[in-house]
Amino acid sequence: MKGAYILADYPYRDLFIREFEYLCRSKVDFIEVGLPFNDPVADGPIIAKASNEVAEKGYNIDDIADIIQCNNGKKIYIMTYSNIIYNYGLERFSKRFESILDGVIVADLPNIGHEFFIKKGFSIPIIPFATPESREKDLKKLNGFNGGFVYFIGIRGITGGEVDFRSENIKIKYNEIKSFTDKKVIIGFGVKSVDDVSTILSYADGFVIGTEIVKRQDDFEEFKRYVDKIYL
Amino acid sequence: MKGFFGEFGGQFVAETLIPALDQLEEAFERFKNDESFISELNHLLNTYAGRPTPVYFARNLSNMYRTKVYLKREDLLHTGAHKINNTLGQGLLAKKIGKKRVIAETGAGQHGVATATVAALLGLECTIYMGKIDAERQEINVRRMRLLGAEVKVVDEGSRTLKDAVSAALRDWIKNVETTHYVLGSALGPHPFPTIVAYFQSVIGMETRKFFEKEIKSYPDYIIACVGGGSNSIGIFKGFLDIESVNLIGVEAGGMSSRLGEHAMSINHGRLGIFQGSLSFVVQRDDGQIAPVHSISAGLDYAGIGPEHAYLHSTGRVKYLSVNDDEAMKGFYTLTKYEGILPALESSHALGYFIKNYEDFKNKTIVILLSGRGDKDMGIVAEYEKNRGL
Repeated sequence: MKGAYILADYPYRDLFIREFEYLCRSKVDFIEVGLPFNDPVADGPIIAKASNEVAEKGYNIDDIADIIQCNNGKKIYIMTYSNIIYNYGLERFSKRFESILDGVIVADLPNIGHEFFIKKGFSIPIIPFATPESREKDLKKLNGFNGGFVYFIGIRGITGGEVDFRSENIKIKYNEIKSFTDKKVIIGFGVKSVDDVSTILSYADGFVIGTEIVKRQDDFEEFKRYVDKIYL
Repeated sequence: MKGFFGEFGGQFVAETLIPALDQLEEAFERFKNDESFISELNHLLNTYAGRPTPVYFARNLSNMYRTKVYLKREDLLHTGAHKINNTLGQGLLAKKIGKKRVIAETGAGQHGVATATVAALLGLECTIYMGKIDAERQEINVRRMRLLGAEVKVVDEGSRTLKDAVSAALRDWIKNVETTHYVLGSALGPHPFPTIVAYFQSVIGMETRKFFEKEIKSYPDYIIACVGGGSNSIGIFKGFLDIESVNLIGVEAGGMSSRLGEHAMSINHGRLGIFQGSLSFVVQRDDGQIAPVHSISAGLDYAGIGPEHAYLHSTGRVKYLSVNDDEAMKGFYTLTKYEGILPALESSHALGYFIKNYEDFKNKTIVILLSGRGDKDMGIVAEYEKNRGL
């Protein structure tokens, strides 16, 4: 499973639409669309700066809902922060997006918080996280979540950090996570190069790239070149 | 999810931090009842920080306004504000859990200085995050922190104030959670921070209560404290929550106006939202983006408020009101001129509220919490006077 993250409305609406459509036609298996928030605590400088820029101008969530449909069976996820969904309304968001999305990834909603969203009427599947810090008791619960895969944050840190995906530590943790869940486990945070991708695919179910894509969103040619290179 | 006060609070943080929050909660629950921990903390509070602080009867103010005004003098503490109560507690806790490094956010710089101070005392590595605008307007505190051996990282993103300093500290914590304890400075953020900070600050309320029980033999009618994130106010309120006759008033920063971007009134002009770890009242735009905020006092310049305050507001036990920049400055000038005490601009909001509404308090007994001293604010006061041709 090869995933791509793209930040909504960045650098501006028309280019975002063209890039989203390009991803739809590419070899990407799933697309995560970031809804910008201006307090992006889990993001590194590149996505944080881009998010702040879009948030500053403002964007309409309903417009984004109309845009992010591929019509060819590609899975679509929203990745954002709790307040964006909470403020829109947990039930309202579910109704608006349930026919579009396969799930949401909420950077500041830990696994123990899913219940809070669900009780308040949120009905879209929420992707659970695993991290290098996850304990056995956390991993045992992974199968119980309604999200379709497990998002493994391979590093202690924020998006766009430096990671050696060949390191034994990551593989050991990855295998430990796999031993507790039947779900696919996707590696995110810090994936950059063709080399990273082939290393990851040698032992893992899949990956998602964010920062390296967002970095190229303001240059369509660069964006296309990168997507063509990574997603074969 | 744990850590709710009514419907407010929780742990809205990256998954990576959950084990660290659990570890912190466990350690806190163990050590808050541990005799040797408590006696070590109390020893430092008494011999190093300068506790207990006096409750001072402000005779001149009382005569002027025909009421009995008492000031709880947290401004007399080492480092100049109540923040040291919490940093000593959390510093000791960090050592107990085996963390070698502490980090903290700071707005006015008081919490940063208090954390750097405790780090120096306890031999911990220390990094302080401070927004660029705050670092400029509180430059002396930046210098103090550096002298104390802390690394001060100036945050030049977003609104360049406390919000961005908290985010930067959270990012650092996510990266270095194995070795580092995050000394959160206010009664906000994810559980267990609101509970821990309130616990370490509750000494303010306990001492005040004891003073009234022993010396005055009756309770005050009103307690007034400023509220940004809400650590000094929750500290004093904790001493009186169970005494219905004591009216509790939290004063928010009204800034220049109630227009978005010109104030920091989370309860009076905010909406429920999820911000920096908890569900509480947040100053935000219609689309859920965190709004810029303003207060003349750097320590109140924050878009959120601790979840326990949101709860106390919802039950009606505490009334949350506000004064604007000018009214706070009036409080500042009045106390300086008539009592010879220079209050911090944060605390000046509590004074300003009292002075503005003094008619309501006639013949009553009032406690105003002086959370800190105003030396750090000389630059802001000078600028305020310059802008108004004073």
